[in-house]
Amino acid sequence: MKAKKSTPYVFLLPLIVAFGLFLVYPLAKVVMDSFYKFSFLNPSHKIWVGWFNYKWLFTFKLYSPTYSYFIGALLKTVIWVGGSVGLKIFLGLGGALLLNSEFLKGKKFYRTLLIIPWSIPWAMSAMIWYWTLNGQFGLINSLMIHLHITSEPFAFLGYPTSAFISTFVVDAWIGLPFMVIMLLSGLQTIPKHLYEAATIDGAGDLVKFAKITLPMIKPVLLTVSLLSMVWTFNSFAPIWILTRGGPVTATTTLPIAIYNTSFRYLTFGGVGKASAMTIFQVLLVSSLSLIYIKTLRGGES
Amino acid sequence: MKRSTKRKLKGVSYQILAIIFSIFMLLPIYQALITALTPSTSSWISPAPLFPKSITFENFSNAFQLVQRLPIYLLNSFIYGIGVSAFSLLIAIPAGYSLARFRYRLRSPMMIFVIYANMFAPIMLLVPLYVIMKAFGLINTYLSMILAGSVFTIPLSTWLSVSYMQTIPVEIEEAALMDGCTPYSIIYRIVIPLMKPALVAIFIYAFITGWSQQFTLALVLISNDKLMPITQGLYQFFSRSSVSWGPLMAAILISTLIPVTLFLLVEKYIVQGLTSGSIK
Repeated sequence: MKAKKSTPYVFLLPLIVAFGLFLVYPLAKVVMDSFYKFSFLNPSHKIWVGWFNYKWLFTFKLYSPTYSYFIGALLKTVIWVGGSVGLKIFLGLGGALLLNSEFLKGKKFYRTLLIIPWSIPWAMSAMIWYWTLNGQFGLINSLMIHLHITSEPFAFLGYPTSAFISTFVVDAWIGLPFMVIMLLSGLQTIPKHLYEAATIDGAGDLVKFAKITLPMIKPVLLTVSLLSMVWTFNSFAPIWILTRGGPVTATTTLPIAIYNTSFRYLTFGGVGKASAMTIFQVLLVSSLSLIYIKTLRGGES
Repeated sequence: MKRSTKRKLKGVSYQILAIIFSIFMLLPIYQALITALTPSTSSWISPAPLFPKSITFENFSNAFQLVQRLPIYLLNSFIYGIGVSAFSLLIAIPAGYSLARFRYRLRSPMMIFVIYANMFAPIMLLVPLYVIMKAFGLINTYLSMILAGSVFTIPLSTWLSVSYMQTIPVEIEEAALMDGCTPYSIIYRIVIPLMKPALVAIFIYAFITGWSQQFTLALVLISNDKLMPITQGLYQFFSRSSVSWGPLMAAILISTLIPVTLFLLVEKYIVQGLTSGSIK
């Protein structure tokens, strides 16, 4: 469209101002703050400490003889995200294939059922799940006892390993509807005649899945998985509500560690150290974003 | 095996799988329902009965006694939702117009930055946002939550706005330009009326996000009970040492009615927007 050269910039200005003030400036602040020592209670009182906060990340240990608090959180984040995203992809693809199948009746009904958990605020889902997982009165225990899977109730959030698994299962539950709906819309773009041709050639279901379905939805699967991975890396509220990072530090992922270091561990933590941790969070998410943007661009050309 | 029996068998097994899947998805919702619908004393039976023996609605009225500010929290969340969507629209519409209709040097990097910005979550900017808001004296204000909340809805809103604008034929605007309209009057005379479906989608997307997902931001930006969004308000009662589960679950169910209904109404637009936004 023909207009003055300045016109597009005028319309873009609000976006630039908003991003500048509340995204770029805070990011720059994180970098700056990571070289200072100060508390969130009194942000104007800052002391320059150079690279000390970064050294602290790799040396400070909390309840663990082997890893530093930060490295422990980083390792847990990777496993936790792997578990959650793995479940989301596996169950998400399974659910989408089911909902796309000609054999399933009542698809609309199941689709609507999926929308309900999607639209519940995460914080509330986590609160409900906390009660569902309760070691004595929760529905999961009750189900397991009534189905004779176990005889004694089990406190899922009370032990390190089970709490770790429970939190990422809940996170997967929260992210699953998005995954199913997105993959379903990807499946629906596959032309039916491909399957018909394969049937005539005598191909079975598994062959059709491997030779038609998977290659056809690969781009969608890739972008959705990357998107979901980033969101899972940033997941804070579900873990915070379910375990607050505990028992001890069993579910302390990087977001929990950042929050604790800046706002809870007032004696040995601080905004500077939390900022140094945040840099790693930003780097992780940025590198995933880079791959995501590359795959999007690749899809365009 | 005959083909028809094979088909039937498949139908049955798929149906069973779908039911198991639904049970997993609905389990906590069922938990919330039975806890809210049974008398408070029966919350403390172990193992809990799978089906309620008697049903009562007392927890729903008790919810308003337990959480006395429940209407205020709901109103606050409504204000945050409206504020966040107003800001998102105000920024995304002109930005979408600019990015979809003009070719200029900043366009391509800006599009990439919008996708990148969509990857940000409150936890990554929590500390600096707190410090910035504190410096401006905005801690414990509606404005801090609305500004900080918008940061995370603006990227997808802009993306939705750009992709919808690209589907509108440019000829109408060109004709208006010929007739002597300026680009500034085109935006509210032609673009905004044509973009109605996208406006609705952006508004609802940002409203639901602002309404629902302010928990992390509120944790550091709001400590005044009168300004808390519903998630944080209810969390106070959740984190107590003894929790009244019946009324709390009832309060949660009452509060989720709003986003669930909205979502069911506009699910189609949101899914369309999301698929056109992230799947190309």
